[in-house]
Amino acid sequence: MKYINDPNRMQIEIIKRTYMLSIIPIVYALIAGEFETLLGFILGLIISTLLLRLRVLNIERSLDMPEGKADTFIRNRYFIEYLIYFAVLVVAKRNPSLNFLATAVGLFMMKFTVIIWAIFDMAKGGLQNKLKDYKDLKEDKYEKGGQ
Amino acid sequence: MVEFSPETIEMVIRSVSVIAAGLALIAGIGPGVGMGFAAGKATSAVRRQPEARGSIVTTMLLGQIISGSTGIYSLVIAIYLVFT
Amino acid sequence: MVEFSPEVIDTVIRAAALLGAGFAMIAGIGPGIGQGYAAGKAVESVARDPEARGNIITTMLLGQAVAESTGIYSLVIAIVLIFTI
Repeated sequence: MKYINDPNRMQIEIIKRTYMLSIIPIVYALIAGEFETLLGFILGLIISTLLLRLRVLNIERSLDMPEGKADTFIRNRYFIEYLIYFAVLVVAKRNPSLNFLATAVGLFMMKFTVIIWAIFDMAKGGLQNKLKDYKDLKEDKYEKGGQ
Repeated sequence: MVEFSPETIEMVIRSVSVIAAGLALIAGIGPGVGMGFAAGKATSAVRRQPEARGSIVTTMLLGQIISGSTGIYSLVIAIYLVFT
Repeated sequence: MVEFSPEVIDTVIRAAALLGAGFAMIAGIGPGIGQGYAAGKAVESVARDPEARGNIITTMLLGQAVAESTGIYSLVIAIVLIFTI
């Protein structure tokens, strides 16, 4: 996670990675010929992208408030977000041309991306540390051999 | 021998599933409380170190992405219970 | 002595299973509060030591992913109760 300092850059990275990962279910739905799944998944993806932007704006606003006020502000905004999820899922359930579970998976997609990204990051850090230890060990050996 | 008419059976199933949907929606409280706690901590952190603002916003954003989804699980179950 | 016909017994069992699914999803409160608490503590430690923020955020995300599993257990139990009984 390189761009942790810069929230704007980080949003673009999260959205980019989510769309790259969601190519897999989209291609699966196209090959299987399930058009409802495709539409539901794309609806969930669009809503989760818009909600990411909404969350960033809310957090930026809450940082300038006193502590207790920020607490209630973010809690109330979460309940508004919950209502948006409720409306989207009700629409997906009542509309026969949208698949309900595919919409739910589209809403979860951003979370899967972040967790997979964190696991890759940790694996990369561990591998680099191991390589560094190995190199240090090798240099020590050469130095001893030289003596 | 006690017997129910088909209307009674349908009424019992429907009323119980609506009650169960209402109970499932209680789970939406949890993420709200947790996110509020994180927001309170974030404001005091910004007071202490104003130059770390970008990292704090990113940390909170990633935390909210992960913790918001627990509420959606209960929402999916509740909507399924009501509409079938 | 009161006897129940098979339809009545089926109805009662199905109704109890649906109610149990609703009760099972109350468990979703726990991971929500816990993940929010972890995010708050991570924000505090980022402010205390901004150099270590990469490690802190990765640790926070992995801890939240593990804490999430409790919510997924209750979701699986609810789905099993709805669809199999």
